Amino acid sequence: MDMEMDIPLPEEMEWLENQAFQEEDEEDFYYPEEEEDEQEQLPQKQQQRPPEPSQTSPPNTSIATSLSKSSSVANHSALPENQINGKKRQWAGADGTDASSTGKAPSEEKRNRVAPHEPGMDEGWLRYSPSKERADVAPAVVEQEKFISRFASEIEGDCISITGPSGDRVYAKINRFETNDVKRLSIDGHANGLTLEPIGILMERAEQEAFTKALQVSSASPGDSILPEMPVVTEQLWVDKYAPNSFTELLSDEQTNREVLLWLKQWDSCVFGSEIRSTTDDVLSALRRHSSRTQQKKPSNMVPNGKNKGFHLSNRTFKHLNHLEGENTNLEDIREFWNKKSRFNGPPEQKVLLLCGPPGLGKTTLAHVAAKHCGYRVVEINASDDRSSSTIEAKILDVVQMNSVIADSKPKCLVIDEIDGALGEGKGAVEVILKMIAAEKKSAIGKGNIAQEEQGKTSSKKGRKTASLLRPVICICNDLFAPALRPLRQVAKVHIFVHPTISRVVNRLKHICNKEGFRTSSIALTALAEYTECDIRSCLNTLQFLNKKKETLNVLELSCQVVGRKDMSRSAFDVWKEVFQKRKVKQERKSMNRFRTTSSNFDFLDSLISNRGEYELTMDGIHENILQLHYHDPLMQKTVKCLNNLGVSDFMHQYVMQTQQMQLRVYQSSVAIAIHNLIAQVEKPNIEWPKSFQRYRALFMEKRDLLRSWHHKISPSISRHLSAGYFVEDAISQLLHILSPPTLRPVALHLLSEREKDDLAQLVDTMVSYSITYKNTKPEPLSAISRHETSLDTSELSFEPPIHDFINFKGYTSGHYVLPLPMKQVLVHEVEKQKILRESVIRSIPSNDGNNCRNQALHQEQSDKAPSSKRDGAVECQYMENEKDKLTKTQWKFSTSKSPSALDSDRSATSGMKLATSEDVKRPSGGSSSFFDRFRKSRNEVPKSANDSLQMPAKLARDAHPLLFKFNEGFTNAIKRPVRMRELLL
Amino acid sequence: MLWVDKYRPKSLDKMLVHEEVAKNLKKLVTEQDCPHLLFYGPSGSGKKTLIMAVLRQMFGAGAEKVKLENKTWKINAGSRTIDLELTMLSSTHHVELNPSDAGFQDRYIVQEIIKEMAKNRPIDTKGKKGYKVLVLNEVDKLSREAQHSLRRTMEKYSASCRLILCCNSSSKVTEAVRSRCLNVRINAPKEDEIISVLEFIGKKEGLQLPPGFAARIAAQSNRSLRRAILSFETCRVQQYPFTNNQVILPMDWEQYISEIASDIMQEQSPKRLFLVRGKLYELLINCIPPVIILKRLLSELLKKLDAELKHEVCHWAAYYEHRMRLGQKAIFHIEAFVAKFMSIYKAFLIATFG
Repeated sequence: MDMEMDIPLPEEMEWLENQAFQEEDEEDFYYPEEEEDEQEQLPQKQQQRPPEPSQTSPPNTSIATSLSKSSSVANHSALPENQINGKKRQWAGADGTDASSTGKAPSEEKRNRVAPHEPGMDEGWLRYSPSKERADVAPAVVEQEKFISRFASEIEGDCISITGPSGDRVYAKINRFETNDVKRLSIDGHANGLTLEPIGILMERAEQEAFTKALQVSSASPGDSILPEMPVVTEQLWVDKYAPNSFTELLSDEQTNREVLLWLKQWDSCVFGSEIRSTTDDVLSALRRHSSRTQQKKPSNMVPNGKNKGFHLSNRTFKHLNHLEGENTNLEDIREFWNKKSRFNGPPEQKVLLLCGPPGLGKTTLAHVAAKHCGYRVVEINASDDRSSSTIEAKILDVVQMNSVIADSKPKCLVIDEIDGALGEGKGAVEVILKMIAAEKKSAIGKGNIAQEEQGKTSSKKGRKTASLLRPVICICNDLFAPALRPLRQVAKVHIFVHPTISRVVNRLKHICNKEGFRTSSIALTALAEYTECDIRSCLNTLQFLNKKKETLNVLELSCQVVGRKDMSRSAFDVWKEVFQKRKVKQERKSMNRFRTTSSNFDFLDSLISNRGEYELTMDGIHENILQLHYHDPLMQKTVKCLNNLGVSDFMHQYVMQTQQMQLRVYQSSVAIAIHNLIAQVEKPNIEWPKSFQRYRALFMEKRDLLRSWHHKISPSISRHLSAGYFVEDAISQLLHILSPPTLRPVALHLLSEREKDDLAQLVDTMVSYSITYKNTKPEPLSAISRHETSLDTSELSFEPPIHDFINFKGYTSGHYVLPLPMKQVLVHEVEKQKILRESVIRSIPSNDGNNCRNQALHQEQSDKAPSSKRDGAVECQYMENEKDKLTKTQWKFSTSKSPSALDSDRSATSGMKLATSEDVKRPSGGSSSFFDRFRKSRNEVPKSANDSLQMPAKLARDAHPLLFKFNEGFTNAIKRPVRMRELLL
Repeated sequence: MLWVDKYRPKSLDKMLVHEEVAKNLKKLVTEQDCPHLLFYGPSGSGKKTLIMAVLRQMFGAGAEKVKLENKTWKINAGSRTIDLELTMLSSTHHVELNPSDAGFQDRYIVQEIIKEMAKNRPIDTKGKKGYKVLVLNEVDKLSREAQHSLRRTMEKYSASCRLILCCNSSSKVTEAVRSRCLNVRINAPKEDEIISVLEFIGKKEGLQLPPGFAARIAAQSNRSLRRAILSFETCRVQQYPFTNNQVILPMDWEQYISEIASDIMQEQSPKRLFLVRGKLYELLINCIPPVIILKRLLSELLKKLDAELKHEVCHWAAYYEHRMRLGQKAIFHIEAFVAKFMSIYKAFLIATFG
């Protein structure tokens, strides 16, 4: 409405002024509240005297003045912030008006001349202002005055010359106190008919004041001894100017707001002590009750008497409040209920509130407003502060545990902003909070009813040893899934911000635009809101910018007009969702040609994906979810195309990585867009995090390492021929078959036929040379042995290294025979023995024959038996005896296996098998007597054995040496049983 | 000890397959100075065996005394020093290692080790070969940089160091390296050769082979001698007096792939593709090289396919294998091939059966 008058000059001046005094103002802003109040009020008191004339001004005072008065009356208990802004602007308007009407620019020299006086005067006010007056002054103080004088010298501070319609010339003081919500108007009796402000502005102001008053009423702070804190606005940014001051003004989702408030209210009993907050329960109940509805909170019990007037006003303003009167009766019942139930409920379950959501939705604002609303003083730590662990710990402890020295100060509420943004040292905050929560839990367990104690303690200023959280902590983040937040996510109460509805945003924008006198259409505003995705900050900045430029918001050129569009980095899930989901068709209808839509859609996706950056993850996610989508594709052509595109992205990635040409990565997004165009559906996709590829990668690494380490364990003469990569491809399946021959009967060793013994020896040899053995996977009692006589699927003994895993495909049953457990135990034992034998063989044979390798040595042994038998004298050679026995047997097996005696023994073995198994099963695991010894024992019983001649000398030689069983020293295979010496020497 | 190892020929004279190659190599090594050698051929054809035999021919039995060592290299690469650790087999006469284990830093390994060998040249060369041999496995997996750095060092230090390179496919070895070596192609043994080897082993083990049994094993072995001998031993272990209709157990992963193939033939839909993806992941997890998977899958599919589609399917398999080699995530490409196959096959089914 005053657009026409808004010539740039006054505005600029105004801006400059603000800039010049910003420092001062900012100082004010950080003062503790008391002083702030004082500061606010001091000038007002100063102005108490001058107003007299204006109030008793003769009837010929201009309409403007009286109006300003009337507005100031309405202003009595108004919340200042908006008002300040409003007035500032209005004043600027008035300035402009006057300047233009008189056709004279404000005289700069006069300003300059007067300016030096000002600071001194200001300080003077500060110094000898009586503070006792404050209490009674406070309600009535908020009054609007202007200093106008005939003489510039009478005015402290800057002034401006004004020529009235009657030709009188006065000097008006320029109000420099941005902290003040008042302007001084000093009218001499002679200054008649001065119109400083057009009527329209004043009218508007009056209306606005009514509005703010209503708002203020609704925000009653709990600690009522303290005046509501009024953030001092220094900037003219609309974002700050129109930032919500009270809970009801919040634009964010009602549900979330309510829940945040509820959570904060739950702290009341802990923070304020129950006696102060007798109404808490009502509020809580009311909040709970209302949390589902979209309406305002109306804690009528909390409204102090002095503000009842405002209550009506608010009722007028917000019509939907009317029915709340009726609810007050209900409150009584519920109050009783809550009084009974939760008189002493301590702090809420989750001590930390985590607000997350995309930028610009008002998370920080909500946190601040809600905390203030509940009577806390907000202490904010954000990304710009030092966030190293030590400093932040001190800071948090300060906030959370200390009470301020000033007795009536408000309790603090910690708001940690942008907690996700910081990695590394930023994790300090998260760690500290987690530590405190942990401490809390511990102490709670330890003491039991600590909650009640704490309530008592909080009011008194006792120091506490446990670093527990006694004050609400609100953390704010954009990305809930930031790795730094993972631990916090589990303990905190998480609220995810959703986009406010567009209509809400548009309404607010319209309101602001109207106030600013900026002409827009709601269509344009809707488009803007959609374009910025309800980012109110961005909307407002754009509007303000356009306002400055004197442009109107144009629907069609929106993308060019939104200048300060920030890079929105979205979560990976959002990216995938955008790729898989078609956007609403509404847009298409609106903009006439389809081509435009597709191109803008392209741009949107492109920027979205590029901003996200992690192309590989994006592609993985697409790959993971693509097959779960329901798109129409009878011949799978779309699927093929999509997968081809993914392939392209893959080798593009590979190429980029190889050549390090990172700039080529921009083309990755086009792949995703192509996929989007192919398969995007309107329905909402069900997106999962791409786990399977990561899982594959991890498992693959694990198995590859397993193979490698196994490969290294195998003696080099064998492993050199087979690279680890080909194990699985060529060897594993067959090896497993070979290692568990179904022909090997699970009977006592001495019952085996010659051929079976050979097979067993061969098997043991293979296992040793491939360094495979069995390992107890589950240490189960050995009583379970009898269960595993036939085939067993749950074996306690499994391969070590676990090579059987390599054929263990999901949904595949391999036809591999698994050896029965007793057999495995025998094998374990034999393998161990064989290993020891080989080591001793290596030790015994000096490496002069050229075949140092163990296997070579054994072969050597086998081929030329005579030279080695010469070294019988050595003790170690006794150990080789067994080996030799075995090898010679291998040579002679054809003769032995065909001898009738062997057949006999075989038959007896089969007949005795049933009986033998249960008892003999234990015997091989005896650990003391070796495989061949035992088998020799059986041979003794069947004296016709062909090997007898061979065994006898060996036994004799062994008996001659008492150290015979030394090699078993320190060896155990976990099965122990008492053994008689007699058995050993047999 | 498995038969594969037990009956591995130790010297060039005892070679049963590739006799011609062995003869030439022997001549080369004994009569004149040996050039750099590049052995290439499919796995299981006997490259390593030949290399070992050549080494033995050069240095005698001493070449077989190998020890495993874990060596760390400190390499000054301009501004920084790189620590590399690599396991290698070495005897007094040769060093054997797998440089592709070092990943992208394989270049340094190749350079350093050759320099070091050149430095430690024996003073007294009388009666001995004046050089050491470096056996490099899997040269085709060496990065391009490593291969480039190899070619100069090959020439520079050839007096003190001979290289024996071993790989599956010579096409991945740069021209420059190939031209500096004597290329020895080791073919996969023919089925006749495999049969003769199996019969030889059977005779040594004293087994009675029913007629045609060895041929059946050889046919299933995919012309890999290693696999043939392993399955021969498996048969022996499973059931000794061989019967003519004895089952020769297949490899498990091949079995699994044929399951996948039948899955694909049964139904063609994204849902089925998802199921197949899970199974492919299983194979990949178990260290089966993706190329092998694709190849095997193709051959399984071809078995069940109508003749007129075979050509097209083969074409696409080649296409996707190429892409797979270009890329990094094998699953994308194998899956794309499966999808392509499904698409083709479904179109075909609709065209023929309506």
